Amino acid sequence: MTSLNNLAVYSDYFVAALLIGGALFMLVGSWGLAKLPDFYTRLHAPTKASTLGMGATLLGSLVWFSVQEESLHIHELVISIFLFLTAPVSAYMMGKAAIHRRRPMAEGTRNAEEAERAAERKGINDRDD
Amino acid sequence: MNLIWVPLLPLLGCLVSLLLGRYPRSTMALGAAILPAIALGIVVSLAPEVMSGSNPVVTYDWVPALSLQISFMLDGLALMFTLLILGIGLLVILYARYYLSEADNAGRFYASLLLFMTAMLGVVLSANLIQLWFFWELTSVSSFMLISYWSHRSDARKGARMAMTITGAGGLALLAGLILIGEVVGSYDLRTVLASGSLIAEHSLYPVIVVLVLLGAFTKSAQFPFHSWLPQAMAAPTPVSSYLHSATMVKAGIFLMARFYPVLSDTHLWFALVSLVGLTTLLVGAYTALFKHDLKGLLAYSTISHLGLITLLLGLDTELASIAAMFHVINHAVFKASLFMAAGIIDHESGSRDMRKLNGLFRYMPYTATLAMVAASSMAGVPLLNGFLSKEMLFAESLHQETFGSLSWLIPLLVTVGGALAVAYSLRFVHDVFFNGEPIGLEKTPHEPPRYMRVPVEILVVLCLLVGVLPDLIVGDLLVAVGASLMPAGVPEFSISIWHGFNIPLLMSFLAVLGGVALYRQRRHMFNFQARFTEVDPKLAFEHMIQTLVERARSVQLWLDNGSFQRYALWLLLMAIAAMSVPMVNIPHARGSLEVTELDMVALGGALLMIVASVATAMLSHQRLLALVTISVVGLVVSVAFAWFSAPDLALTQLSVEVATIILFLLALYFLPQKVSLNHLSPGRIVRDMGIATAAGAIVGTLTYAMLTRPFDSISSFFTENAKTGGGGTNVVNVILVDFRGFDTFGEITVLAIASLGIYKLLAGVRLFVPAADMDGRPWSKDSHPLMLMQISQSLLPLALLVSAYIFLRGHNLPGGGFIAGLITAIALIQQYVANGVVWMRDRGDLKFQWFIVWGLFIAFASGVGSWLFERPFLTSWFDYFYLPLVGKFELASAMAFDLGVYLTVIGATLSILANLGKLTTTDRPTRPGRRS
Repeated sequence: MTSLNNLAVYSDYFVAALLIGGALFMLVGSWGLAKLPDFYTRLHAPTKASTLGMGATLLGSLVWFSVQEESLHIHELVISIFLFLTAPVSAYMMGKAAIHRRRPMAEGTRNAEEAERAAERKGINDRDD
Repeated sequence: MNLIWVPLLPLLGCLVSLLLGRYPRSTMALGAAILPAIALGIVVSLAPEVMSGSNPVVTYDWVPALSLQISFMLDGLALMFTLLILGIGLLVILYARYYLSEADNAGRFYASLLLFMTAMLGVVLSANLIQLWFFWELTSVSSFMLISYWSHRSDARKGARMAMTITGAGGLALLAGLILIGEVVGSYDLRTVLASGSLIAEHSLYPVIVVLVLLGAFTKSAQFPFHSWLPQAMAAPTPVSSYLHSATMVKAGIFLMARFYPVLSDTHLWFALVSLVGLTTLLVGAYTALFKHDLKGLLAYSTISHLGLITLLLGLDTELASIAAMFHVINHAVFKASLFMAAGIIDHESGSRDMRKLNGLFRYMPYTATLAMVAASSMAGVPLLNGFLSKEMLFAESLHQETFGSLSWLIPLLVTVGGALAVAYSLRFVHDVFFNGEPIGLEKTPHEPPRYMRVPVEILVVLCLLVGVLPDLIVGDLLVAVGASLMPAGVPEFSISIWHGFNIPLLMSFLAVLGGVALYRQRRHMFNFQARFTEVDPKLAFEHMIQTLVERARSVQLWLDNGSFQRYALWLLLMAIAAMSVPMVNIPHARGSLEVTELDMVALGGALLMIVASVATAMLSHQRLLALVTISVVGLVVSVAFAWFSAPDLALTQLSVEVATIILFLLALYFLPQKVSLNHLSPGRIVRDMGIATAAGAIVGTLTYAMLTRPFDSISSFFTENAKTGGGGTNVVNVILVDFRGFDTFGEITVLAIASLGIYKLLAGVRLFVPAADMDGRPWSKDSHPLMLMQISQSLLPLALLVSAYIFLRGHNLPGGGFIAGLITAIALIQQYVANGVVWMRDRGDLKFQWFIVWGLFIAFASGVGSWLFERPFLTSWFDYFYLPLVGKFELASAMAFDLGVYLTVIGATLSILANLGKLTTTDRPTRPGRRS
């Protein structure tokens, strides 16, 4: 009984740390979305920081409910899988769209000419080589 | 035999006629006649019962709560009309056998004729007001088909349209009148209405009821000023004219007046209205008949005149007037039907109906001429024939009436004038056609018709004579029975006999004959005078009126329905505001008795977000993609709100619907202009629209507030209490959907299926402008299916299907169910279309969305029908708990099969809308068969 109580206490700390960490990452992500100079850099904030924050929060939820209900909760795991699969792809697609539309880049972006070439490229199926 | 067979047998005969379409004419006529003949037999076998004063009734409940029944009753009045309808109908069937030419489709003719017979029998036998009206309109419809039987002729089509419009409009007035009667009496049952005594006459709505019912009767019976359709209906084949336009249909209005005579008449309004209209019709009809050169035209106007005579009798406030009216109904039907048949024979055997050409036919067709002369004499009111008797009764009754006070003496005078005119046109019919020199310019030499074509005329003429000589013996008892229907309080003693001694009516008859002969002799002067009027073709006048009306209607419609969505939204909102504001003003306080929940930051934040997003959507509406983003914010907040207020099912549904809707928007936006300017909008319009939107928002907001702050007691507690015990599920929402209100859901998925099929039909073959570049002129990226998106989407599919299966299976007890699962599956599949393209999907097994719908509906239906096997009502659900090793205890419910049907239908419907819209840009677009493009 005591060990279970101890587990609950330790898990509380763990969950709290995960939630605070997750919230921090999400805050950073939102901050970045507002503050970063151009579209391409802004894309990093929600896709990287916020996804990580979300993952931490989900993990916290998983631990908390698993301990509380004394059975393994895998819903959050499924949500995380979906999230980790879809977030990069949406970022990728948005980046592609931005390059296609030739969104302006911040001063000093490295390899800016690569983007120009990517936009010029005719597509994956009819490469002009 | 049961009374219901009387109208039912001719209806079956209608089918028989259609089936016998390829057999020889005689077989067909026999087949058409057999069932009505049986019906006539039934009526005759029931006649003694009716005569003895008891009325056979059959009643079947249909919707008892609305007092709707299928109910037939045979009383004296109905008996008389039934005998006329069936008797003359049979004669007309025999006559038409010879009348129709080889080129005519006799099967269609007999079928329409028998349909009309059914309708007419239904009118006279109905013991329920609404049912009576149904058959009343059926007579209009079937007569339309009969008048336009020779549909290649313009006059037939125009005449049919005119008859249909006028009698149909009258029918609508009648419906209003009947409903009012039903409201006043409290029942649509005819017997209750007839037994209500003076209830209706003393009601404040009485004038309205009388006018509406009479409008129905007057239009049907071609009373002035609604008479002009009847002459135009003469474009019909003569058997039709003889049956509908002399013997039966035009008498339906008379029947109606007689039917309600016990409860509606006996007021000054009735007498004044009915007698004046009747008298005018009598004179106008008789006068016009005199000048018609067309044989059938003369008969048509004479019919109008005689109908006016009957109406006049029904409007006279004397004891025996209504009996005389009913007697004349019989007499007129008999002699006029035979005259029409004779006219048809003349037309058939000489090729013309023009009395200026037809002369001296007595030499060519002596038998027919004799028959026609007897019938025409009856029409003129010559003694020893039936027409004389009822005309004498009219003269006698006209002397006794007192409706018009000191001016009452005018009535007998005018009636005598009408009688003289009748003598004159009858004389013209006989003299012009059968004597008066030789035929002029006929295409063929007239001769006698086939033997059996004359038989119906002979029978009718013999009846003229029999009734004329022995009236009491032939129709006396019948008229007493009819009188009992018209005067439930008691029929006064009357006797119909040829000789009443020298009295004033006899003098009037004598004067009428003399006057008629004089008029005919002096006809040249009258014709000259009449020629000074400019003749208006009522057909063309009517067409002109109708076309003007249609044009006006179209311009109104174009103003209301101009194809602009904004206009529709405007009307809808204005109507809603108008309908809601009055009741809202009448609610004293918006806030009800319930405690207001305390404001919390989460709800407030959500509300603010939603408000901001809504306003942004409105303001950004011209930047469509951006507006789509803001509106999806609204949708997401709504989903979260559902979850927040403990409605997880709604939240899930809202979320998946939201996704599907956004995809739909995106697909549609692709074809729409990318940039819209608002500069063309006038500031006045912007102010107007904002005003309307604000008013609508304020009203809906207040209404919601008022609803939420009032205690709401609905049947939902029943669902909550019985979901587990009755439906075997703890998810009340799902149990309601698939069990308690499964029938509703079944209807809804059917609607969904129909809607998606409709959209498919709209999309099929449509060629939309496919933009080659975006709004800045940038061509689309050629990399339409990036590898990464393809790969990830493919790997997502099984996961998404797993989730949807999970949501489906747990639906009965936890949030989820077939609808949500269907949407998830559909979205997952759409995702594949988006990521991989139509061609890729087609190569991996083309999904036939229609089959999803078909199977979905079938499974849902089958799971409902399944409960019949266990002798339970449709869609009764069954559930039980089972135990399997490894899986544990689980539940099986028949509702799950139903839910599977919902699931499949939703997938099919969603995909067939979204995927087909997406396919529009590809070569796999939906096409119409045979027009593959």
